[in-house]
Amino acid sequence: MSPTRREFVWTTGAAGAALALSRAHGILWTTADDEQVGWEPGIEERLSSACLVCPARCGIRGRLVDGRLVEITGNPLHPMSRGGVCPRGLAGVQVLYHPQRLASPLQRVGPRGSGDWREISRDEALAIVGERLRDLRVGGRPEALALLSGYCAGTMSDLWRQFLGSFGSPNYVPDEHDDATEVIMSLVHGIPRRPSYDLERAELVLSFGAPLFESWWSPLQALVAYAGRGSGDGARPRFIQVDTRLSRTAAGAHEWVGVRPGTYAALALGIAYVLIRDELIDDEFIAQRVEGFEDFTDARGRRRDGYRSLVMRDYRTEEVSASTGVSVERITSLARAFARSQPALAVLGSEVTRSPEGLLAGLAVHSLNVLVGSVSRPGGVMFGDDPPLEPLARPVLDPTARAGLGREQIGDPGAPFGGGDRALRFAETVAGSSNPVVEVLLVYYANPLASSDRPEIWQDALDRIPFVVSFSPFLDETSGHADVIIPDLLPYERWQDAPTPPSYPYPVWGLCRPLVEPHEGGTHTGDAVLALARNLGGSVAESLPFDGFEAAVKARARGLFAARRGMLLGDEFERRHHRQMEQRGWWLPEHSHFERFWEDLVERGGWTDLFYDDTDPARVSRRPGGRIHLMPEELLQALEEQGSAGAPYSRVARTSSAAELEFPLLLIPYRLFTLASGTLTLEPWLAEQPAVFPEVFWGPWVEVNPETAETLGLADHTMVWVVSARGRYRARLKVFPGTARENVCAPYRLRHPDGEVANPRRLLDNSRDRLTGLASWYTTRVRLERA
Amino acid sequence: MRRDAAARLANMSADERALLRPLVETSSGFRVTAAVLGGVTLWGVFAYYLQVRYGLGRTGLNRPEYWGIYIICFVFFIGISHAGTLISAILRVSKAEWRRSITRSAELITVLVIGFGAIQPIIDLGRPDRVMNVVLHAQLMSPLLWDVVSIGLYFIACTVYLYVPLLPDLALIRDSGIKAPGLYKFLAAGYRDTPSQRARLERVIGILSIVVIPIAVSVHTIIGWIFAMTLRPMWHSTIFGPYFVMGAIYSGIAAILVAMAVLRKAYKLQEYFKPVHFDYLGRLLLVFSLLWFYFTFAEYLTAFYGGEPAEMRTFWAKVSGPFAIPFWSMVAGCFFIPLTLMWRRSTRTPRGTFVAGIAVMIGMWLERFNIVVPTSVNPRWEVESIGHYMPSWVELSIMAATFSGFILLYMFATKFVPIVSIWEIKEGREESVRLVADRVAGYLPHAATSLAGGDH
Amino acid sequence: MTRWGMVIDLDLCTGCAACEIACKSENNIATVPPDQAEMGRAISWMKVQAELEGDFPHTNVRFTPRPCMHCDNPPCIKVCPVEATYINDEGIVGQIYARCIGCRYCANACPYTAKYFNWYGPEWSDSERRHLNPDVSLRRKGVIEKCTFCHHRLQNAREKARAESRELREEDFQPACAEICPTSAITFGDLDNPNHRVSELKEDPRAVRLLEDLGTKSKVYYLASRE
Ligand SMILES: Nc1nc2c(c(=O)[nH]1)N[C@H]1C(S)=C(S)[C@@H](COP(=O)(O)OP(=O)(O)OC[C@H]3O[C@@H](n4cnc5c(=O)[nH]c(N)nc54)[C@H](O)[C@@H]3O)O[C@H]1N2
Ligand SMILES: Nc1nc2c(c(=O)[nH]1)N[C@H]1C(S)=C(S)[C@@H](COP(=O)(O)OP(=O)(O)OC[C@H]3O[C@@H](n4cnc5c(=O)[nH]c(N)nc54)[C@H](O)[C@@H]3O)O[C@H]1N2
Ligand code: SF4
Ligand code: SF4
Ligand code: SF4
Ligand code: SF4
Ligand code: SF4
Ligand SMILES: [Mo]
Repeated sequence: MSPTRREFVWTTGAAGAALALSRAHGILWTTADDEQVGWEPGIEERLSSACLVCPARCGIRGRLVDGRLVEITGNPLHPMSRGGVCPRGLAGVQVLYHPQRLASPLQRVGPRGSGDWREISRDEALAIVGERLRDLRVGGRPEALALLSGYCAGTMSDLWRQFLGSFGSPNYVPDEHDDATEVIMSLVHGIPRRPSYDLERAELVLSFGAPLFESWWSPLQALVAYAGRGSGDGARPRFIQVDTRLSRTAAGAHEWVGVRPGTYAALALGIAYVLIRDELIDDEFIAQRVEGFEDFTDARGRRRDGYRSLVMRDYRTEEVSASTGVSVERITSLARAFARSQPALAVLGSEVTRSPEGLLAGLAVHSLNVLVGSVSRPGGVMFGDDPPLEPLARPVLDPTARAGLGREQIGDPGAPFGGGDRALRFAETVAGSSNPVVEVLLVYYANPLASSDRPEIWQDALDRIPFVVSFSPFLDETSGHADVIIPDLLPYERWQDAPTPPSYPYPVWGLCRPLVEPHEGGTHTGDAVLALARNLGGSVAESLPFDGFEAAVKARARGLFAARRGMLLGDEFERRHHRQMEQRGWWLPEHSHFERFWEDLVERGGWTDLFYDDTDPARVSRRPGGRIHLMPEELLQALEEQGSAGAPYSRVARTSSAAELEFPLLLIPYRLFTLASGTLTLEPWLAEQPAVFPEVFWGPWVEVNPETAETLGLADHTMVWVVSARGRYRARLKVFPGTARENVCAPYRLRHPDGEVANPRRLLDNSRDRLTGLASWYTTRVRLERA
Repeated sequence: MRRDAAARLANMSADERALLRPLVETSSGFRVTAAVLGGVTLWGVFAYYLQVRYGLGRTGLNRPEYWGIYIICFVFFIGISHAGTLISAILRVSKAEWRRSITRSAELITVLVIGFGAIQPIIDLGRPDRVMNVVLHAQLMSPLLWDVVSIGLYFIACTVYLYVPLLPDLALIRDSGIKAPGLYKFLAAGYRDTPSQRARLERVIGILSIVVIPIAVSVHTIIGWIFAMTLRPMWHSTIFGPYFVMGAIYSGIAAILVAMAVLRKAYKLQEYFKPVHFDYLGRLLLVFSLLWFYFTFAEYLTAFYGGEPAEMRTFWAKVSGPFAIPFWSMVAGCFFIPLTLMWRRSTRTPRGTFVAGIAVMIGMWLERFNIVVPTSVNPRWEVESIGHYMPSWVELSIMAATFSGFILLYMFATKFVPIVSIWEIKEGREESVRLVADRVAGYLPHAATSLAGGDH
Repeated sequence: MTRWGMVIDLDLCTGCAACEIACKSENNIATVPPDQAEMGRAISWMKVQAELEGDFPHTNVRFTPRPCMHCDNPPCIKVCPVEATYINDEGIVGQIYARCIGCRYCANACPYTAKYFNWYGPEWSDSERRHLNPDVSLRRKGVIEKCTFCHHRLQNAREKARAESRELREEDFQPACAEICPTSAITFGDLDNPNHRVSELKEDPRAVRLLEDLGTKSKVYYLASRE
């Protein structure tokens, strides 16, 4: 050894010495030991809660050290997420400590959007807002109060409704995931509710454009089912993804069927054609439970083609193959697989309904489930119910309130079915009317200036509203234009019930509870609403008799305690045991006192009832006669009134527009798995590599087929303008073989590192479905230019 | 002082006059060049400061391109260092008489260049402040450690090997008193060219010239092993040891040729660096260009023939992929140019060899590049995306500084020691003719008597 | 003899990358700014790699989550001049950040490119510092880092087990990635312990190891039905 040392010193001694010197100054390097600085572990805790980042509401556990939230893990007791958490959920720790977070309530001092604020106290803020609200009621114009609310379920939305109701305003404006699935279910089944999908017990899951593993209502529900973790026996459903692009879901699924945009319905009916032709349909079920399959005579006594005739006439596999780009063999084999592997399930991607013939398209896709009788059967489409919560309180309506509620909602649907993009119609009306129809706007969990596809309309609307209050914890675009901001607490600091979305067949009442000390500058919006009610007094206060949101949530749990059904979240064994008991009509109480029940509920993270009564006919159809209608009267009428050529299940010739020359490519916007909000500059972990493929970092991109890129002479990675007739935005071009030659796939909710928004939805042509008023997201034509 | 130094020179022998003049006279050209080189060097030092202050992020390196310019230069410079010692040792051992005027300049290159080579890996470290860990926590399995040892040894050996043959000349300068008497008194270490001292000197040189050969060989073998010991495609090759040694000598010869050509002009040494020297070294260069081709061909053929996917990705990246330009330039510089020039006597002139030398040096630098970079950017685990490498200005500055720093030092060295060994020239004039005659006689039949002595 | 290892079922992996983020959160992995990321300097101890083949609509994807393989015969440790990377007697290959001189030789020697280098010092905004995991030390400028099989969790689990004076159970020590995977594609445990699932999973006919022929004796197995 020692010779080595000597000679070593010879060669490097000089350099070594020099460097040792600079090190002595300690400027150049942190010395070894400080790599451990401050790392004496502290008091550690793990608390159950729920993730509020997206509608799925998975069960999580927070790992706390000395009161800091250092890590989020899953709650294995949660029946839907089973201890799994998605990247977004995990990155929650970076949202909690987000730099954009507001330190205290603010009041605007400069002109709107000038960014000049005055920090005010919570009471001051509430007083100011209370003032305005009282004036409205005194002036007899309660309807001039409006609430714009992003996705919000459970007690928070009930609270808002109760507040607006007792206040006297019909203007609860949801700015959440609008689609036509709910309408379709009410037309076909007479059940106005988004469908639930029993993915766990299905044999085959055939998804039409639904981003099951990415931004679906519950990615975790889909992932857990995919892994066969839901079905007790570990059997795994086969997932087939019909999609216009190689989405993450398509990549993860067992099979991917790439189709032309807007041809989901055609493919569905092509499959239906084969099912009928090869007699693979469930005749018995159809005979007993379904209307409109065979030809029939309508209300006005006219003879009408039924489902069978229409499909057999218009959807011969050759034609379908031509329009969808899926080979005849593939269509046939899909149909056979769908019929053979029972139970099979066709998932209706909400996106299907976001096309000019969206409602009819959705109808077509859903009809597959009817053909094979996968309705309210294990592994089929189901209609779950809500947790049996205690009602908040009986709403008390004084004359002012009644008068206000009597007046019409602002922003009428303007379409026979569904509310259309409700928030946008609201904005249009407000922006369009000369005198202020809305005096006070409350903005909760919404940021239309960033998220709307027509931000300019929202700008006008806001300019016409004298007083805007935002509850956003962050200074996002919209709160930037508010007069008062009362920053909400973040999910990891607050009480909130977290019911799973309709996509999950069983009611789960997850509970989100404070993990860390609430930020002193923040105010739970629920508490703010209750405070406002108190401060308004009278009937409003009577309708909301809670001294805090936590109390309200707890009060509701009494309903669960009394319901004599369901269980607190428990492990696999407890779950199975419980299900079996309830199937036999048994239920044993585990708690004698509500307090103990509540403590356990908080500790375990929620309540659920995993028993689904599939013998209940009301879960198949609630239409008069209790039958499923493939040819709903009201739909046929509406179509007639519009003099529209399109009958359900009949083909509409695709007209190629002149625009195709100027804008050769079709824009396919899609929501990124790793993004939960259109506003926040991303959590660093997610922003650094927002997608597993293509390989991208931080900034926005668009996916283009290699050949297309070549013919355009655009190399991988070049910055391009995506240009439509309506506008343009900047993004990096990523060459991606999973994109069709004629498409440009554009992830939305991204921004450039400098904050510049890159929102493909702002390029959308304004075409909409006349039946639902929903904007079409997949018909916009674009071209690419080097930026 | 200047004037009487000149006076002193005046009454010395022709050889001494010619060879000692550079020590006392400094042209303005020299000053300008020195100033420029000095500037470049300082700039590089500044660049390195930035790198140390802010991290290796200042380079163009990344994952999987973990090694770049610094390691390339490391291999290159240590390669050059084989110029002197090895060549001169071989020539000495083989008693090649024509060596006498070239060994000194060659040995000087070696000693200086080793230092510049050896600091490259340190410049490349993420935590140079911890460089001593290599001693404190030495992990003997690591080729990097073997390298530290062998380079260390090599440096010592070369320094001694440079110093010992210097003694007579140092003594001469001391006695002539033309320059810094104190310094040369110290350096000459009391050597008084007495016959016995001279005899001992010759013996020591004899031994040294044999000892340094294996050391020199080991140095570049191990450098080759640094790469070969990993499982990376086109690094993991048994030929790398010898391949590197050969390449080193090759670039060494090229370096000598270039140095000689320059010195010849700068110090008017046409008398000492004769066409014949260039001719002989040129032949050597020719031989090595062929050797180089042989090794390279063998290396690439085996890779290609084996056709292992991982290897092929790197292979094609070099031959026809993104690295085609550096690759084929390398082939031109290391093979075609020297071959065509050194083939005919008519171009084995000082100018011809100079051009060939430059070509070979560039070619050999590129060879190092083609070994380090293409393999790095093509990870063995093929799902990993292909890397890319664009050296940053910091790296390039430091590389420039290394070159300029070396040249600068070499220039200063010529101000302190005669660039041609005076005493060996003298010795040549006085004795070698006789010695050679005897030796040649010794080769011939029935003529060995005078040497063999009357033992029958 | 305990030999910690991992089995990843590629037939279950949907490439959701939860494992990646869980690892970053557990092990205090810093992000790098955009320009740096573009240069290939992002750090991700667990990296979900996507292999794409075929053109629309026949494009296929195979996801491969890639941690450190914790080779039993690790090419990376042999070459380290200062023994800053080592294999312990339970087969976990570790890094000594405070000793590493940053020569990146190990990184070159790793056939799986599983090692990451801190080209600059990590930058933690104040907000990010708030959620750092106290069990895991931070790496500084100029050193190599990589997946540690969440070694710190093992130490904690051991202490816990000792405190409760009982044997270490399989579920006591699960790395962050295995714990979070929504499809339970990742199984972790002692390969030599017949009671641990990994010990039989690794015998599954679908089981393969990456670059097995290199003889690195990787302790991360992949289950992939050869379709
Ligand atoms: N990650 C994440 N998930 C969320 C949310 C979130 O904030 N973050 N929010 C929830 C909310 S509010 C919403 S609105 C939903 C949004 O989720 P979705 O409404 O499902 O919208 P996208 O996620 O954009 O998925 C659209 C999919 O439709 C496919 N598609 C492309 N072209 C067509 C076509 O022509 N027809 C049809 N039918 N489909 C096509 C695309 O490939 C894409 O995968 O996500 C919910 N889940
Ligand atoms: N660019 C883009 N535009 C879109 C979409 C998109 O994905 N990208 N999606 C479309 C769809 S489907 C929908 S549903 C709408 C949704 O659009 P929005 O309803 O605006 O939803 P987000 O954009 O997520 O904005 C929610 C806002 O709530 C605030 N927020 C975050 N956390 C909290 C909290 O804890 N409490 C409170 N009170 N507020 C909080 C944040 O400031 C955030 O800006 O946008 C539509 N437009
Ligand atoms: S799926 Fe939604 S709710 Fe579940 S963890 Fe991810 S973000 Fe949270
Ligand atoms: S978390 Fe599981 S499913 Fe998601 S990428 Fe990692 S291994 Fe695959
Ligand atoms: S995978 Fe790479 S880093 Fe990990 S042990 Fe093996 S060689 Fe070392
Ligand atoms: S980079 Fe650090 S760990 Fe890797 S070989 Fe060099 S010293 Fe060892
Ligand atoms: S084992 Fe731990 S360190 Fe390794 S990848 Fe998984 S989480 Fe990261
Ligand atoms: Mo939405």
